[in-house]
Amino acid sequence: MDVDIVCVGFGPAMGGFLHTIAPKLAEMETPPTVICYERADGLGFGVSGVVTKARGIRTSFPDLNPAQIPMAAPVIEEKLLYLLDPHGASRRYFAVRALDAMARIAGAGATHAIALPWIPGFLHKEGGLVLSIGQFNQWAGEQLMTAGAVQLWPGMPVSDPLIEREAVVGVRLADQCGEPGMDIRAALTVVADGPVGPVGRRLDQHFGVPPGFASNDWALGSKIVVELPDNTSLEPGTVFHTIGFPEPDIFGFLYVHPGNLASVGIFVPSWFDNPARTSYRYLQHYVMHPFLWQYLNGGKLRSWGAKSLQESGRRGEPWLAGNGYARIGEGSGTTNVLTGSGVDEAWTTGIQLGEGVLELIRENAPYTRENLERAYVQRRRASWLAQESRVAENARNGFQRGFLTGLAGMALAGMTRGKITVHARPVPSQDRVQPVEKYFGGRIPLAEIEQIDSQCRSDGVPLHDRLMDRLGWPSIPYDGELLMSHQDALLVGGKVQGTPGFHDHVSFIDPDLCLLCHRRICVEMCSGEAIAASKENGAPAFDREKCVHCGACLWNCDNIEFAAGGGGLHSVEN
Amino acid sequence: MSDIFHIVVCGGIVPDPLQTLEPVNGPNGPALRNELQLPHVLDPWAAHALYEAAHLTKKHPGSKVWLVSLAPKAKLQQVMMTVAQRVSFELVAVDGASGGFTDSAEVAAALAAAIEAILGLDHSRLLLFGGWESASRAAGATLQMAGERLGIAEQFQGVDELTVCEDGSLRILERVEGGQHQVSVCSGPPAVLGWATGNLPEPSNSPQIGMQNMRLILPALQKAKPAPVTAECAFTSVALPKQTRETRIVKDTPVEDIARAIVEWVTAE
Amino acid sequence: MAETVLFLANTEADGTLGRIALEALAVAKSLGGTLIAGLIGGAVQPAADSIASSGASRILAVAGEAFAESRYATDAAAAEALAKAVQATIVVAPHISRFARCMAGVAQRLGGRIDTHVTSVVTGPQITRWYYRQRMEAVLKRTQRPWIILVESGIVPAWEGPAGTATVEMIAVEAATRSRVIGRQSPQTGQQTIRPDAKLLFVAGAGWTRKQADGKPHIDDAARLILGFLRGSEASLGSSKSLVDLSGEGQAVLPFLSHMNQVGQTGSTPRHPKGLATCCHGEEPHVVGWRFIRERRAVNLDPNCGWTRGKADVVYVADAFAVMERVNAMLAERSAARRAEA
Repeated sequence: MDVDIVCVGFGPAMGGFLHTIAPKLAEMETPPTVICYERADGLGFGVSGVVTKARGIRTSFPDLNPAQIPMAAPVIEEKLLYLLDPHGASRRYFAVRALDAMARIAGAGATHAIALPWIPGFLHKEGGLVLSIGQFNQWAGEQLMTAGAVQLWPGMPVSDPLIEREAVVGVRLADQCGEPGMDIRAALTVVADGPVGPVGRRLDQHFGVPPGFASNDWALGSKIVVELPDNTSLEPGTVFHTIGFPEPDIFGFLYVHPGNLASVGIFVPSWFDNPARTSYRYLQHYVMHPFLWQYLNGGKLRSWGAKSLQESGRRGEPWLAGNGYARIGEGSGTTNVLTGSGVDEAWTTGIQLGEGVLELIRENAPYTRENLERAYVQRRRASWLAQESRVAENARNGFQRGFLTGLAGMALAGMTRGKITVHARPVPSQDRVQPVEKYFGGRIPLAEIEQIDSQCRSDGVPLHDRLMDRLGWPSIPYDGELLMSHQDALLVGGKVQGTPGFHDHVSFIDPDLCLLCHRRICVEMCSGEAIAASKENGAPAFDREKCVHCGACLWNCDNIEFAAGGGGLHSVEN
Repeated sequence: MSDIFHIVVCGGIVPDPLQTLEPVNGPNGPALRNELQLPHVLDPWAAHALYEAAHLTKKHPGSKVWLVSLAPKAKLQQVMMTVAQRVSFELVAVDGASGGFTDSAEVAAALAAAIEAILGLDHSRLLLFGGWESASRAAGATLQMAGERLGIAEQFQGVDELTVCEDGSLRILERVEGGQHQVSVCSGPPAVLGWATGNLPEPSNSPQIGMQNMRLILPALQKAKPAPVTAECAFTSVALPKQTRETRIVKDTPVEDIARAIVEWVTAE
Repeated sequence: MAETVLFLANTEADGTLGRIALEALAVAKSLGGTLIAGLIGGAVQPAADSIASSGASRILAVAGEAFAESRYATDAAAAEALAKAVQATIVVAPHISRFARCMAGVAQRLGGRIDTHVTSVVTGPQITRWYYRQRMEAVLKRTQRPWIILVESGIVPAWEGPAGTATVEMIAVEAATRSRVIGRQSPQTGQQTIRPDAKLLFVAGAGWTRKQADGKPHIDDAARLILGFLRGSEASLGSSKSLVDLSGEGQAVLPFLSHMNQVGQTGSTPRHPKGLATCCHGEEPHVVGWRFIRERRAVNLDPNCGWTRGKADVVYVADAFAVMERVNAMLAERSAARRAEA
């Protein structure tokens, strides 16, 4: 099938792109055909914990009234909190123990938390919005569909770019029900399939990456949407950022939406060297931290979701354009790792490409690399987006060397607008994650670690629960309302469903390598427990019905193939 | 004898299967909490009916399929993004409430009126398809009433199979008691068929079908006439069931003991 | 104003009334007002005689070969004629496929309203029925008349009373129809796995076809164990939606399964006294199909599966393959022991 512009992925970046071009297309006598294919089964099935300055978004919607978008609220209050560990089970480095002591002196008290007296400017979201990305994407999609200038097709994963003579000439859709996926040929392919999208990764493999490219830093964000108790004192637009718990390396957040809802979540980063790292259980401990529990106790789980974030920022920027294609959004390195924001940045790159494409249409110019660099890339380079991403570029280097170094490095980068940063060479997380014996050796006797390891292998379960139990993490008292098993959260919260007809999209490239693998981080880290250890030493099993396409497995292991596939989250509240 | 069919599929929309559903009292009677925010799908058995209709038109070239749906326009548009990629059809949209608490007679009246207004519809070749019971109201009433309004007295419900015989007659399998099917033969259209699941697999997404469908779907949505359907009866209460048991969890027990316990329970009077 | 309640039922091939029809009669009686019976079938006198002492002030019937068939055109015409003849304000009939097929159409002809799958009727009348695939229960009343109520089986005991000699008023009905019933057939799966009168429902979930601990699926073993259990226990087979969907994708996953086996979530709501769920998580949309199953147990490797949260009486945390292997063997031993005794 032939179209003029084919788009891969519908998220904030594509929303920005299509909202920019659609009104102008509607004015044209013979507008180009623009079709967007989105992997997820619905436009609103995304996940993010979003508090955003919304600068780019407000450019597209100058009269934006947050009340138009379900679950949106203007930010009214922001706090940055340092959380102590009430159980004493987390790994408190020496520097962190010092911070803990200072916090206690400063009056952390019964809630084991202390609010910092100020929020660093780079973190501040004044004038911003708390959003549900699902509701926002759905709303943005509805506006576009009603106008009719572009077509949006969810439930249609794209597996590969079509490349001929070093130009991208379209895309191939994923095979379905035994039928090979159709080829969609287009003059321009816009790629916005996120940090783990297969099309973006194929482009990197084929065309290479710019010098200095490094995309090793990532975080796994895991969140729930909670229906707060009726008598809650939290107002919509309240924003809490937290550091210090459940582990010093894990940042957290609570954002309050209208309608008695709150998004609560954590980010498990690639520099968290725990080889048995996981997100769901840590998220539950986070929810039960006394400071948060005072607000969440008595609440109900409405939604759950998980997603990996590309946290290399500018360093992870691939070639932004080539013959016949352009890249926008998180897969093009838009995450600002200093301010911890991405949605508005992604949207803005969509606007920038949209303006560039309109220019080229007016000029009747082809979508060559040169033209796209002129019309889009240069626009992007000259914008606030690029300026801020240069400031942020090295902001998180310090975390490669330690937690306190990391915090200090961020503060330094923020205060000097990126001029002074900590120097560190980013290391792929597979290379920095420690063996179990080393990471836990100081706190659990080696013989016991071996025994737990051997028991878990024979039971075919991941290590994290038993190790965390042993370290003193209390068991979670499931109530079936807010605190529940991981699988219940998938069903009740994420409404996770497989879609019939697609292949398994996660596979192990060389199963024999798995035989030699001692770590099995893919099993430990899987957000949906879709990857499970085999009791015999073979490649892990993969259950498509549980996968939420977060990409954590891909970030953690080179032996994993993560292809295009359907299904995943079916909640619109994340 | 003509072997083309004009198939009109009636299908409402319902929340996606795993969504959390809670009843609330609205100004027009009971409704679902956050109903308009829940992701919706085409009613499952109505969707099967649609796929059966498409299958039939492939075997009988010249036949046509319409999908008549009463739902809030914005939600119907969302549902179309998925359904319209599957099979070819022409949409007739009626803008109204889609919840299960609305009255089947009112909905049937609105659907019948919309069907009667379809230009070029040949009543003598009409097969009125739909889901036997929706996943919302689940009464199995709406399609029958619409069929009656259209003057069709040959009706079949719980259909799993339709075969068009050589002489043009319709051989129909309907679900009856005991897991069996009743086999009937009808001389031909017009007829009403309320489908259960049928036997066809779900069709895969087709970009070409999607593109063709979408050209007409948006105009159809824009000109959807409003149909103010209500919950006509007086609801005294609507509540979630409170069936909770004290579950005994048997763990760390040998398989032999578990098997024995199950056998004793199964064979006890 | 007192209601005129028409109890409507079809007669069996031998002219009698089935248990479900007599249950509907009990419901009709409980409403008070003027009770009139209306029968549809090939032969009707035995049925009329059996309810002679029911308190029905009249017994009307539409009888004949044409009305022996379970068919829309003839049933609708007969029901319409009976309701009009007595000017019924309420019509109570059993919710069976024969009446589910046509009574909404009859409501349309009478200018009335209908409620189906009714699980409770009390004076008012006020009825109870389920919505959203048994995920919520509603109690409602209607002012529109006539009001047709199709009642589910098993909600009240069947009416019992001495037979007598009934005077039946025959109503002549001409019903043109272009359809004829040519018979019944069992599902094409080749194995009759649905046994509505079985004491136990055995539900197989998607876990049976997943990769097991050795990283491989064991479909043949799953099939053998499931069918073996059905043979040994004479249970009826149900399934979760996910498993029948897999079977429907053209894969020969468990070839004896079809959508007919699906429980809950657009599938059936069976009524067996006991239910055993295996390899199935117990999520809400499936479990609502268990509403009428009294005693419930489950076998699942996940100690936090949905069944453990108040949805089952007992959950055995164990590997269903291993458990059912032993269960089948024990059932076979018992059966052999009984044969030896006999």
